[in-house]
Amino acid sequence: MQSLRRPQTFKRFASITQDPLLTLALVLVVLFVAITIVFPLLSMIGEGFSPKGLPLFQRYLSDPVHLSIVTNTLVMGALVGLFGTAVGFLFAFVQVRLNVPFKRFMHIVALIPVISPPFAVATAVIVLFGRSGSISRGIFGVRYDIYGLDGLTLVMSLSFFTVAYLNLSGMMRALDPALDEAATNLGANKWRIFRTVTLPMLLPGIASSFLLLFVEAVADLGNPLVLGGNYEVLSTRIYITVIGLYDTTGAAVLSLILLVPSLTVFIVQRYWISRTSVVSVTGKPSGTPQMMNHPLVRWPLFGLTIAICLLILLIYGTIIHGAFIRVPGVRYDFTLEHFDFVLNGIGAQAMQDTTLLSILATPLAGLIGMVIAYLVVRKTFAGRSLLDFSTMLGIAVPGTVIGIGYVLSFNHPTTLTLPVLGEVTLLPQLTGGRGLLGGALAIIVVFIIRSVPAALRSGTAALSQIDPAIEEASISLGADNARTFRRITLPLIRPAFLAGLIYAFARSMTTISAVVFLTTPQTKIMTQQILNEVEHGRYGNAFAYCVVLIVIVMVAISIMYVTVGSTTGAERRLEGGL
Amino acid sequence: MKRVVLILAFAFLALTLMPVLAQESTLTVLCTPQEDWCVAMTQAFEEQTGIDTNYVRLSSGESLARIRAAKDNPEFSVWWGGPADAFIAAKGEGLLDQYESPNAEAITPEYKDPDHYWTGVYVGALGFCSNLDVLEELGVEPPTSWDDLLAPELQGFVAMAHPATSGTAFTTFWTIVTLKADAMEAAEAGSGYDEEGAPTEDAVNAAFEYFAALNNNILQYTRSGSAPGTLAGQGEIGVAIIFSHDCVKLQQEGFEGILTTTFPEEGTGYEIGGMGIIANGPEPEAARLWYDWALTAAAQEIGPTVNSLQLPTNPDAAISELAVNLSEIKVVNYNFVAAGTNRTAIVERFDAEIASAPTE
Repeated sequence: MQSLRRPQTFKRFASITQDPLLTLALVLVVLFVAITIVFPLLSMIGEGFSPKGLPLFQRYLSDPVHLSIVTNTLVMGALVGLFGTAVGFLFAFVQVRLNVPFKRFMHIVALIPVISPPFAVATAVIVLFGRSGSISRGIFGVRYDIYGLDGLTLVMSLSFFTVAYLNLSGMMRALDPALDEAATNLGANKWRIFRTVTLPMLLPGIASSFLLLFVEAVADLGNPLVLGGNYEVLSTRIYITVIGLYDTTGAAVLSLILLVPSLTVFIVQRYWISRTSVVSVTGKPSGTPQMMNHPLVRWPLFGLTIAICLLILLIYGTIIHGAFIRVPGVRYDFTLEHFDFVLNGIGAQAMQDTTLLSILATPLAGLIGMVIAYLVVRKTFAGRSLLDFSTMLGIAVPGTVIGIGYVLSFNHPTTLTLPVLGEVTLLPQLTGGRGLLGGALAIIVVFIIRSVPAALRSGTAALSQIDPAIEEASISLGADNARTFRRITLPLIRPAFLAGLIYAFARSMTTISAVVFLTTPQTKIMTQQILNEVEHGRYGNAFAYCVVLIVIVMVAISIMYVTVGSTTGAERRLEGGL
Repeated sequence: MKRVVLILAFAFLALTLMPVLAQESTLTVLCTPQEDWCVAMTQAFEEQTGIDTNYVRLSSGESLARIRAAKDNPEFSVWWGGPADAFIAAKGEGLLDQYESPNAEAITPEYKDPDHYWTGVYVGALGFCSNLDVLEELGVEPPTSWDDLLAPELQGFVAMAHPATSGTAFTTFWTIVTLKADAMEAAEAGSGYDEEGAPTEDAVNAAFEYFAALNNNILQYTRSGSAPGTLAGQGEIGVAIIFSHDCVKLQQEGFEGILTTTFPEEGTGYEIGGMGIIANGPEPEAARLWYDWALTAAAQEIGPTVNSLQLPTNPDAAISELAVNLSEIKVVNYNFVAAGTNRTAIVERFDAEIASAPTE
């Protein structure tokens, strides 16, 4: 029993069947992922390739109208990827490599779009730069047509660039300055170093940012719905196919077409680009990065970054201002009627429902993410990478596609016909007004599966940095796996857990594409209500919703910091002795 | 860790308590007119009867699609408002229950279904809702004819809703069908209408040609019928094709002096806002109570309090002086039954041929 030889101990620790609790956890998460992610996707694929769906493929892929929709989607994804990455790169470069004032300010402004309710930015951009926009028309006197590709690229680049910024600034900080120094010693000037050393080292990061933004952009529903004009993309087509025609087969076929670029790009990003990273090879950086101090580099870049910051602040300012005036862009008298509408009127139920469902989904998403991360990083079992991949599908698959999958799978009870027992109900109806808990369960589950991937990633990253020897020590001292996970692993990955929770809550509160087909008379979702208000042009109400939503998310984040602990809490606890 | 357990325990507690929220003695209304009217109606009904009344606002086409999708296990009990074509389509598909309300006797026969599947609750005419400033700048007068909308100056400055989701847009489409049929019938008897009085295939094709031409001037097909009106109010477009009462509502709510309502002189279409009981709905008793109540004069006078200025169908209900009187404008001879029967086919064709087609 008590073997002192380390390899054997390790083997026993890593093998999963030894511990019934661990086996149970594994079975539970596998079941969860299979039912909530894999099954809806499979039923969507099944519907698409059904005898009803196959002819539609041919129709959609040969008809020039639908082909142009596919092209539109790809062009938009590529442009958003390009501009979003460029803006992210600019912010990261200024942050890490330039010696300029207001860095903290720029950093905070770059983080603002993380909590942006859908439609908020698009609507504010219409108010500012639309045909009667207070800037385009009010200051420059032009009726600029913001609807279409240009408006979409602007809005999405500004909404999504934060991912690129965080990604690239992390990489730039991790670059080994010794390489720059070596190049300088060999006589290269700064531009040459940037071009031949820095940029190639960052290339994987740039590529992966581009691809992540591409996936986000082609999956986005809210912005094209509001700002698309006649520029139609697949996500809006799927939406109208379901909402207007309730043609779920057609929607499934369109979803499959959308799935091809999304999944390809996701797989390339995840399994190819992220593996070619050269940054980690050198390990920890051996000094502080060299600053670019040439004034012709420094000040134009600084100016550009500040200009973008001001634009972001202007947009968010418009949202807040618009919530307090009678008709944004038209009548400027102060009013609280929009907040009355949201807090006391029609909006109150949606606000309560969305918050409650998000509160329920958040801890579950965080926990499931951590458990899967633990199993995938620390344990060996067959299908480990498959579990990881399937979980990641929750976010890699566009939200509208997930929504269709749910409607196809859960709009009726799931039954199984067995030879002896006859028909057995495996799952009751989950979606729609007559679904379980008035359709609320389906929405919670969607919130969870959309958030688990982020928790899983941050958990995996955190776990990979923790020496398994600490856990082995706990096992050697007689603690079982569950106790070790609870007392050792979880406290150590608490910052990752916290990050997962914050992401899960913010994501759940602001998601639209995945739940837009799942709201029911009993369960109303704020983002859906915002869409209604924007669609009717009642921008004041929409802005008031957005302000309330942002406040709720910020309050929740503060509460999570207090209850789960600050980012340094884990270390302190470890140092203080467990 | 204890905290996490606590949070989880709370979560499960909340989960088990949730069904309590959805109990009996409730009513779920599918509501198609503007949201504030839905609120005013459900609140008034709740006060009157004590029945806990929920509603969902969906556009007319969305409503039909949603009822169709959940017909084995309907989510809603009663469907209130939206053009009657959708109710006729729903009746044809067996989605509605027959109900002969005692209060329906007061309503004139042309505003209700002879088989008692639906009854009209309001009436309203289509019109053009124009932004005066924008039109002045474009050098165009507010349109007074359907052909005025095709003016090249208006490229990208007209908006209407998508017929797949919006009853307003479908009413617009069918109005053009009717006008084309009238013109063809005038030129050659029998070419515009068939023996049963329904517009012919050729008339429908002619209407598609009109909308293909109009597509070049359309900025965006919105989901909801009244949304183009706000686009006009915001100055994003010049002309919105919407129900005239929705334009009057906007004028009452911040766009006074900005928007103006005009009507096409060759004739405009109108809607009868319908109401029907969903077949096999979850709360049939409460649905009938709502049905009876919504036909009373008192219930029909709620609209004007929230600036919804459709004309009531109950002759005893007071008419707001702001309402557009149908007798003062030229309306087409709108064949609701033919419109309802052809609805699905037309919507699918419109979606495939017009709405997704790129503009030049």
